[in-house]
Amino acid sequence: MFKFMKLKKTSLILLGIVLVQSCNTKDEPIEVTSRNFMDSVDLVTEIMIHDVFSPPVASRVYVYPNIAAFEIIAQNNETYKSLSGQLPGLKPIPKAESQNVNLKVSALVAHMELSKTLIFSEDRIIHFRDSLYGIWKDKNKGEFEASEAYGLKVVSYIKDWMNKDNYIQTRTMHKFNIDADDPSRWQPTPPAYMDGIEPHWMKIRTMVLDSASQFKPIPPPKFSLEEDAPFYKELMEVYNVSQDITKRGDTSEEIEIAQFWDCNPFVSVTRGHLMFATKKISPGAHWIGITKIACKNENLDFNETVYALTKTSIGIFEAFISCWDEKYRSNLIRPETLINQYVDEKWKPILQTPPFPEYTSGHSVVSGSASTILTSIFGDDYTFIDDTEVAFGLPLRTFTSFNRAAEEAAISRLYGGIHYRAAIEQGLKQGRKVGHLVAEKVKMK
Amino acid sequence: MIKFMPYILVLMILFSCKKEPEKLFTVLSPEDSGINFNNKLRDTVGQNILDYLYYYNGGGVAIGDINNDELPDIFFTSNQNQNKLYLNKGNLKFEDITESANVAGKSDWSTGVSMADVNGDGLLDIYVCAVVGTNGFMGMNELYVNNGDLTFSEKGHEYGLDFDNYSSSAAFFDYDLDGDLDVYLLNHAIHTEESFGKASIRNNRTYESGDKLLRNNNNKFVDVSESAGIFGGANGYGLGLAISDFNQDGYPDIYVSNDFHEDDYYYLNNGDGTFSESLKDYFGHVSKFSMGNDAGDINNDGFTDLVTLDMLPEDEKVLKSSAGDDNIQLQNLRTKQFGYYYQYARNMVQVNQGASSFTETGFLSNIAATDWSWSALIADYDQDGNQDIFIANGIPKRPNDLDYIKYISNSQVKKKIETTNLIDKEALDYMPDGKLKNGFYQGSTDLRFNNQTDTWVTQNPSYSTGSAYADLDKDGDLDLVTNNIDEPATIYINNTNSKKNFLKLQFNYLGKNRFGIGTKVKLYNQGGVQSKELFLQRGFQSSSQPILHFGLDSLKTIDSIKVIWPNRTFQTLKNISTNQTVEVSYENAKPYEYNFEDTLKHQVFTKVGDKLGIFFKHTDNNYIDSNRNKLIPYQISDRGPAVAIGDINNDGKDDVFFGNGKHVPSEIYIQNDNGFLKYEDRLLKNSAIVEESSAIISDFNNDNKNDLFVAAGGGEFFGKSEELQNTLYTFSVTGLEVLDVQEGYEDTAIIKAADFDGDGDLDVFVGNASISNDFGNIPESYMLQNDAGSFSKKSLGNLGMVRDATWTDFNNDNQIDLIVVGEWMSPMFFENNNGEFVNKTSTYSSSPLNGLWRAIIPFDVDKDGDLDYILGNWGTNTKFKASEEYPMLMYYADFDKNSKTETLLATEKDGKYYTLEGLDELSSQLVSLTKKKFTVYKDFAGRPIDQVFDSSVLNDAKVFEVHTLASGVLKNNDGRFIFQPFGNQLQVAPINCFVKINLSGKDRVLCAGNYFGVKPYHGRFDGFLGALISDQNNIELGNTLGLDFFNKAITKLETITFNNKQYLIAVIHNDDVQIYEIKKD
Repeated sequence: MFKFMKLKKTSLILLGIVLVQSCNTKDEPIEVTSRNFMDSVDLVTEIMIHDVFSPPVASRVYVYPNIAAFEIIAQNNETYKSLSGQLPGLKPIPKAESQNVNLKVSALVAHMELSKTLIFSEDRIIHFRDSLYGIWKDKNKGEFEASEAYGLKVVSYIKDWMNKDNYIQTRTMHKFNIDADDPSRWQPTPPAYMDGIEPHWMKIRTMVLDSASQFKPIPPPKFSLEEDAPFYKELMEVYNVSQDITKRGDTSEEIEIAQFWDCNPFVSVTRGHLMFATKKISPGAHWIGITKIACKNENLDFNETVYALTKTSIGIFEAFISCWDEKYRSNLIRPETLINQYVDEKWKPILQTPPFPEYTSGHSVVSGSASTILTSIFGDDYTFIDDTEVAFGLPLRTFTSFNRAAEEAAISRLYGGIHYRAAIEQGLKQGRKVGHLVAEKVKMK
Repeated sequence: MIKFMPYILVLMILFSCKKEPEKLFTVLSPEDSGINFNNKLRDTVGQNILDYLYYYNGGGVAIGDINNDELPDIFFTSNQNQNKLYLNKGNLKFEDITESANVAGKSDWSTGVSMADVNGDGLLDIYVCAVVGTNGFMGMNELYVNNGDLTFSEKGHEYGLDFDNYSSSAAFFDYDLDGDLDVYLLNHAIHTEESFGKASIRNNRTYESGDKLLRNNNNKFVDVSESAGIFGGANGYGLGLAISDFNQDGYPDIYVSNDFHEDDYYYLNNGDGTFSESLKDYFGHVSKFSMGNDAGDINNDGFTDLVTLDMLPEDEKVLKSSAGDDNIQLQNLRTKQFGYYYQYARNMVQVNQGASSFTETGFLSNIAATDWSWSALIADYDQDGNQDIFIANGIPKRPNDLDYIKYISNSQVKKKIETTNLIDKEALDYMPDGKLKNGFYQGSTDLRFNNQTDTWVTQNPSYSTGSAYADLDKDGDLDLVTNNIDEPATIYINNTNSKKNFLKLQFNYLGKNRFGIGTKVKLYNQGGVQSKELFLQRGFQSSSQPILHFGLDSLKTIDSIKVIWPNRTFQTLKNISTNQTVEVSYENAKPYEYNFEDTLKHQVFTKVGDKLGIFFKHTDNNYIDSNRNKLIPYQISDRGPAVAIGDINNDGKDDVFFGNGKHVPSEIYIQNDNGFLKYEDRLLKNSAIVEESSAIISDFNNDNKNDLFVAAGGGEFFGKSEELQNTLYTFSVTGLEVLDVQEGYEDTAIIKAADFDGDGDLDVFVGNASISNDFGNIPESYMLQNDAGSFSKKSLGNLGMVRDATWTDFNNDNQIDLIVVGEWMSPMFFENNNGEFVNKTSTYSSSPLNGLWRAIIPFDVDKDGDLDYILGNWGTNTKFKASEEYPMLMYYADFDKNSKTETLLATEKDGKYYTLEGLDELSSQLVSLTKKKFTVYKDFAGRPIDQVFDSSVLNDAKVFEVHTLASGVLKNNDGRFIFQPFGNQLQVAPINCFVKINLSGKDRVLCAGNYFGVKPYHGRFDGFLGALISDQNNIELGNTLGLDFFNKAITKLETITFNNKQYLIAVIHNDDVQIYEIKKD
């Protein structure tokens, strides 16, 4: 249903453009709106849901196409400053030479084309792209062709830079070693018992952080199952909170919060031989969604939209590297494993435990970072209605600031039964540090 | 229209002239038989595959003569509709007497059915199982007591058999030998927990899903499960049930096949009313998604073997788009942390090794993959004297389709959120259909079954679940009946008729067991024996006709038949002519001694309890090669440890050196008059990190004192790690001292010493296997030429992945030559020409002979006076497949251009090559080459390798080949060598090592093997018991010799002399060493 509606929306827009276009016969400038850009971002989100991208990889799929688009609009522009020279290894992109180039068209071309190389299922992006290209070509062939050529040139340039970020190398690095003899060490969790994902994500080239460990959080409470040990108390807190809110039922505020911020791209369900999955957007995608909401509320134009999305996606990208650095440093076991072993064999968390070590909480770090950047762009005390999860059958939620939203996203992991409190609190701190650094250090205006 | 008629006529004539030869079976149409029973399923809210996980398990079949007219009648269970009873009227005509017989049943969901004389009145009663108490299913298990007038009365309650739980089938047999029939009721859990949960859940009995053993107390059945030691936990997914006296002690035992992560159960009857569940002691691994099974003696050795069914597809397209086995780390978690056993998703043939253990031969036996399989029936359908196997299979929807799980289900589940009705037709349509042809596998004398599915019968694919056999038309051969979902039952009529001979036996036994359930028959003929037991519940949810049927090929008269009655007595029938049905009545029976020990050979090896003080245990660090190199075909880090025998302290007595795993020190045991004492050495402790792979104790510097040469290897260290260097030690009063460290960073597999240049000192061949972290890159192997204690390296080239070598003078020129064997290479013959080595492989062997060779030993196996060589290979009981025509291929290259190499394995199927690994495994290493290209599994599945990868990618790769996986002998044929594979009993696992043993003044070779260094996809090679080869015609398996090699990965064998006695040292990977005294005679 969701997909169908999405398509319909897109085609309505296209239809609109076609109708407008059919009244004219003469070449006229191609118009590209912020809406077009957001549609492209949405499409990438949808394909990532289908193709099942893990949250860290998803953050990479967002950031490079955004940067490509931003670099195009930032050239010869008094408002915007290129990221070249600011991000390691990124040199100025080649300038548009032809007079005919429409930079917005090129920016959108670059976004679509680079996204296409990053996702797996290309068909839908090609379909979307080709219908736009058809309209543009009809409208102004010369302008379109020049803009397309330039967009593609920038894509290949950004790709060269992107390909040096160690992503390809990390694909073939060794898997996380499971050692069940170490009681504190992370091990796969029910029901799919997936391998620890992206154990080498800290090796991805950072853009703003001086290293993956720049904001290394304090270590988690020392593993101990002694009753008065802080770690054990946090473990029991997860269990008790979960028991408590479960008793209060699905309509309790805490369960609603947990569900709202689940953001698990692949929740597997098994019934005998029958297995299936429910998929949602990743934490990064949720914050991309919030960015779009703010852009729409403010009626931002194409360039401002690209700017806001680019900056936020850099913050999200950096947050994942910082977080994953700690996850595979502390390699901490999830509450579900320990509770099943020592407390309650039958206990199940309200949310499905995602397949990587516990500390720090990915959603907390990402939310901390993204909210800080959004605050720097749109201001504090910014009220918005978050409809990002409506497509997944979840309600709207209203927030009075990005920071409040981030705090709620963070604590949702405790309610969900998948994180201890330390991972949430330290994660949020860690994320905010990342966000501040990106907000301050990266000069895009 | 009329014009065309003549042509059609001509065509018809042409067709009728080309008469096809009659097939073994003919399918009888419902019109002809009158049997139109159809297990029709109608999806409803609450009754569908999403809400009831066993919705597609289908019904059962029970066959027996209910009215004693000698014509077997048929009962079918229907899941949702009326069960049916068909009376056999003769001439293959049947009449539906369900209504008049009063057996239609009241349960909402019927499952299995058994016919048995439950009350001991000489008439077959019918017991129907049901699932009750879930999904709105009402009803109960029903016992239809035969009134003897073609009517039945339901008396479940009266007999205490009216269970309202989740039953799948029931087996009636006399477990306590008190003369009446008891029952094992097989139940199944209906919820799969999302987390494994500890295996110990099975100890907590639950009424609904727990299996039950019920003792017959004068027609009242009493639950004795608890006291008898029967598990009844919430994790018992019992789908298959086999009763047999597996250990030949006279008391029937029980094998239960459990679906999902619960282990199968192997209950040995203690003879005192209790059972001991002993799966882990007797089986190396079992089927995972275990469904039906059958027990029968498939190799005519007098012991009951076992076939268990699972769901591994053969078809590439289905195989590569279905969910597969666990990964290796998950397997470790499941077994070590949660306490489950080794289970793999494939059919298994468990060969009973004289009651000592079971060797699993599913791959070798060619029946591992028959897709979604429910029922197995072992019988001699073609009457050639070898047991065949019938397999009923098929599933209406395949719920384990990966595209469904990963890409399609999400939108279906979304729909559920919106409509709260998940189960609409559309949702199911996305799951692929699994209609299959039932399988016919023809047995042989060598554990192999040949697929005759298309040659033995013309049939349509179906969803067949329960099945049973019987001689429906009384022509002597066995016919088959299957219960099908959404189609009429299939009746296969056997056309063997008089082409091959048979004997049918039925029994007239005592008291309340007139049919003689539990009777064993051994049919002796010309030195051979066929053995069968009368237990009726077989296959899946079904019971077969209460007779024993033997195929006897062209035999006219049988020498003797031993009938062993349930009460441990026997009588013998002599000179019985074939092609008749004999009713054997209990008379003049004599006590039978269950003592098969005398049939076993004399014990040659006796385990030494105190091990002479050699308490070595090899400890490996459980490094998983495929965590780093995800596509490596097997481990290279787990081949150790080294062992060397020799007089290390120069006191005239041989000592022992053992290498060890990473971070664990090697150990030396010094021999004294009382035994062996561990020698503590500082140097050994300091070099604990090294993984020693091969070692020699000998005098290398001609100082008349022995030295210790240790080779290092393994798959974990890479680059120029000093842990990979080979070291020469000498022994002084203060301990070991380093004499020499060899520069060299390869994974050394073998060092072998000989004075090849005749200068009086020992030279060494260094055979290297691999370069760590770059599997497929071939290291150099070389000679270390000894010149008065200093070695100089002489390269032999990059020979291959060398694993072993032997120094012999194979060309009889009085110069010692070298043969080198290894993986992905042919045995290589190096002629020694005055100290120079020339590769003369093509001179000495002609056919391409690449194998995964692991060991070689010279031995005159045919006693013709010249030296042959015995070679240890991977064995043929494996997913690997290789032949000269279609070698197994391994591509080696940096496929994705990321400066790291990979290997890709491909084997042939129907003339095309396919990768062994599925899309997920390939894309875990080759993301850019696979995920982009195949966004859904069905695009990838069924594609040969050259359609998966561009030809440029494959053409740039180095290609390795394997032509044979069989272990065997290189036979010396006037100086040229011809390979002769061993029989199948020596192909069940990799053979890793050999040692020469002298018995009764004659040299023999003992070989040992087994190997666990493979992904769960391949399973586990655990069933080789060792074998003593006296000559090519005299090979005895280890269990008959006193060896305890089952389920152990033996890596090295050595002999040592202590107090003038010979001892065998068996070195086991990651386990305690075993010491045996070798019989002197």
